Formats: sequence, C-alpha cells, structure tokens
Amino acid sequence: MESLTLYELNHFVRQVLEVNLNESYWLRAELSEVKENRGHCYVEFVQKAERNNSIIAKARGQIWANKWAFIRPYFENTTGQRLSAGMEVLVEVEINFHEAYGYSLNIIDIDPRFTLGDMAKRRQEIIKQLQDEGVFTMNKEIELPPLLQRIAVISAATAAGYQDFSNQLQNNPHGLAFRTKLFPAVMQGAQVEQSVIQALNVIANEMEQWDAVVIIRGGGAATDLTGFDTLLLAENVAQFPLPVITGIGHEKDDTVIDLVSHTRVKTPTAAAEFIIQHQVAQLRHVEDMANSIAQFATLTLRNEQLRLSRIASRVPSLFSVRKAKEEAKLERLLMDALTAIHAQTAQQQSRLQLLDQHLHLASEKLLTALRHRIALAETHIAAANPDRVLKLGFSITRIDGKAVTSAQQVEPGSQLTTTLADGEIHSVVSGE
Amino acid sequence: MDKKLNYTQAMQRLEKIVAKIENGEMDIDSLTDNLKEAKELVNFCKEKLTKVKSEVKTILDEE
Repeated sequence: MESLTLYELNHFVRQVLEVNLNESYWLRAELSEVKENRGHCYVEFVQKAERNNSIIAKARGQIWANKWAFIRPYFENTTGQRLSAGMEVLVEVEINFHEAYGYSLNIIDIDPRFTLGDMAKRRQEIIKQLQDEGVFTMNKEIELPPLLQRIAVISAATAAGYQDFSNQLQNNPHGLAFRTKLFPAVMQGAQVEQSVIQALNVIANEMEQWDAVVIIRGGGAATDLTGFDTLLLAENVAQFPLPVITGIGHEKDDTVIDLVSHTRVKTPTAAAEFIIQHQVAQLRHVEDMANSIAQFATLTLRNEQLRLSRIASRVPSLFSVRKAKEEAKLERLLMDALTAIHAQTAQQQSRLQLLDQHLHLASEKLLTALRHRIALAETHIAAANPDRVLKLGFSITRIDGKAVTSAQQVEPGSQLTTTLADGEIHSVVSGE
Repeated sequence: MDKKLNYTQAMQRLEKIVAKIENGEMDIDSLTDNLKEAKELVNFCKEKLTKVKSEVKTILDEE
C-alpha cells in the first residue's frame, strides 16, 4: 500500500492551497488575541454565532515585522487605539500553510476605518443602553459641593498623571487647601474595567470622606483605551454617588466614561485646574459678600452720623422756640390762677360780712326777748308772795311744821299751828 | 455663631445677611450684631477654603 509521510501530506495541502488560493482576500473578523514578539505581531481571529456567542470559526494570523512597522502606526494614528483583543478588524490576508505550523493568515494590510466605525457603533450601543436605563446623565445631575477639597484620585500608581495633578493642587497660588489620595488602578488594556470599578467601590465605602472622584491618566502615546468604553464601567461611573471628573487624556475621541462623567477635561493638570477654579470662585463669593457687607455697614454708619448731626444742630433753636412758648403758657396759667384766687377771696369776704350782720341782729333779738321774760317773771314772783296772800285773809295751817292741805291729815288731839299775816295761833283739835 | 455650622450652612447664612442688606431690611439696631456674625462667618468660610487643617496635613504626610 502506498503511503505518505506527514510532511509529504502537508506539503501536498500547501501546494493545493498555493495554486488555488493564491490571491489576497479582505477579511472581517474579531481579534481574540494580539501578541507582539520580536517585532512580529501574532493574532487570533474568531467569529462568534450571533445567537449564542459560541465560536464558529477560528484562525491564527500574523503580521510580519516588515509590514507591522507600517501597519501599527497607521492603525494607531487613525483609531487612537492599539490593535487589541475584542476589536473588529478589516484586514487583507493571504492564506498561508506551513508544513510544520499549519494554517494561518498572513496579514498584509488593514483598514482602520472599519475598526473605528465598529468602535463608534459599539460606543453608540453602550450610550443608547445607558440612556434606556436612565443612568446616562445621573452623574452630571449631581451638584458639585461648595467645598471641592477632598479628592479621591483613581490613576496608575506609577504614572506621572497623579503627581502632576497633586502638585498642581498643592501648589495653587490662592492658598487653597486640598486633600488627595490615590486609589491605584490599571489605566490601560483589558483590565481597566475591573480595576477601575474596584477602586470606585473602595471609594464608595468611605464616600463621606470625599467630595469628588477624579479619574486621570497621564497623556503621551496613544494607547489602548477600549477598556474605558465598557457598559459596566460606564454604569458604575454614571451612578457613582459623588461627582466624577475624568481626565483620561484621549487625543481624538471621548471614551464612554468621559461622556457619562460629571465633568470631562483633557489632562490631569486640567482636572486640577478645574477644581482650583471652583474653589477660587467660592473664595471670591465669600470675599464679595464680605465686601458688600462692610460697604453697607460703613455707608449706613456714615448716613446715620449725618442724620444725627443734622438733627442735633436743629435741637437748640427748636428748643428755644419751645421754651418761649412754654413760658408764655405758664404766665397765662399763673394769671388765671391769681384771678381765680382773688375772686374766691372776695366772695368769702362778702359772705363773712353777711354772717356778721346776721349775728348782730340775732343777738339783739335774743337780748330783748330775755329782758321781756325777766320782767314777766318778776310780775309772777310778786304775785306769788305769801305775805301778800296772808294779808288778804288767807292762813297756813301746819302740823309739826308741815302744811295741812287735807282734812285727812288731822286727827283729834292734833296740835295745829296757824300762821296769819301778823302772827301765829296754836290750837288743839277736839272731837271728830 | 453656631459652632456646629458647616461650610454650606455658613454660606447660606452669609447669603441671607447680604440679601437682607440688598432688600433694605437691615436696620441700624441689628447692624452691629449682623456685622459681627458676618465677620465670623467669612473667617470660617475662608479658613475652610484655605487653611490647611491639621487633619489634612496629617493625611498628606502619611502618603
């Protein structure tokens, strides 16, 4: 039986391929792996089923150093990105088969506009999804706090970006105080998403210690920023409870997190400047208010002093007018009082005179009446004199010195003394 | 001035005093008190903005 060695078989396959597929082809595919080695670039292409993302085609490929030296700058300058896994590319390939290394695609040209279009399309999809979720503008809606002073910085630990940022803040010419702390993260390549989200989570756990988050990346050569264009990272930034300021330093296009962040600046120093200006505005505001209060106070005091001295200057003349008025009033009152007193005195005097007259008349009358009564009494007294009665023939009979006025007083044997005008008769009662 | 005031509250208070002045609601009797309070508020706010507090300094020194 005739048989072939493996080399003979593979060589046969190679010959068939070289004869039948000797042209070049434009291929659309996703890169699943990109590696550089000794100036050559080795990649892996995949095609996934739209339905379930399972791989339905796969091939190795390479760009030899002589081509790679042109393709690489061309691609990076156009897209602003490095050739990297996950990218959709449009490349011109020749089919290659090597007896020892097998099937591979030899890349001889690339159309970066395709990748750019694909990236833009993907970014649009992410943006649309963020909008549909209602989170796209969430971070922008956070109001910057009046004090933007304590800044959590997400950046590569080794990059100059963080140093530039910190120096700029600390050496601000306005004497503003800041506190910054670095939360290190990978700032390029495939690990960006996971690493930045992790840093955000650490900050979120102590968020009351921070006023804002700054995500910065030192500038320089165009590098792979596709890591910043992921839905998950964009969702994290958009929904972060503190304002996020990005200074990722992309020359051409904004990354998705630039679009969802509160404020996007170009460089780390620009981020620092933004924060400084915010604080300067606060400082100005405080100083403006202090000035207007001081101005008002000075003005008010001056006005009040003027008013006071105006009033003070008018007081003496006003007072003297008033004084004259008061004096005239007093005089009038005094006169009135005197008149009233005079009138009162006169009235009293005439009343007294009247009383005096009455008194004289009354006493005169009383004396006359008394004299009449005395005269009458004298007549009566004269009439009642016993001597006169005795001379008329009347007598007084007494027993033991007592006048007998009733027959009952007399008993037989009673001794009577009868007084007559010219003497007494003593007798004794006989019989009954 | 209330010692527990934070920056935002201090600014609000300061803005209120300025508004009172601008609306002509400030009389000479309350002027002195308001002026004194405003001075304290301004110092407090400026200090917050500029003065490197020991707390801040300590943290910076750690890094």
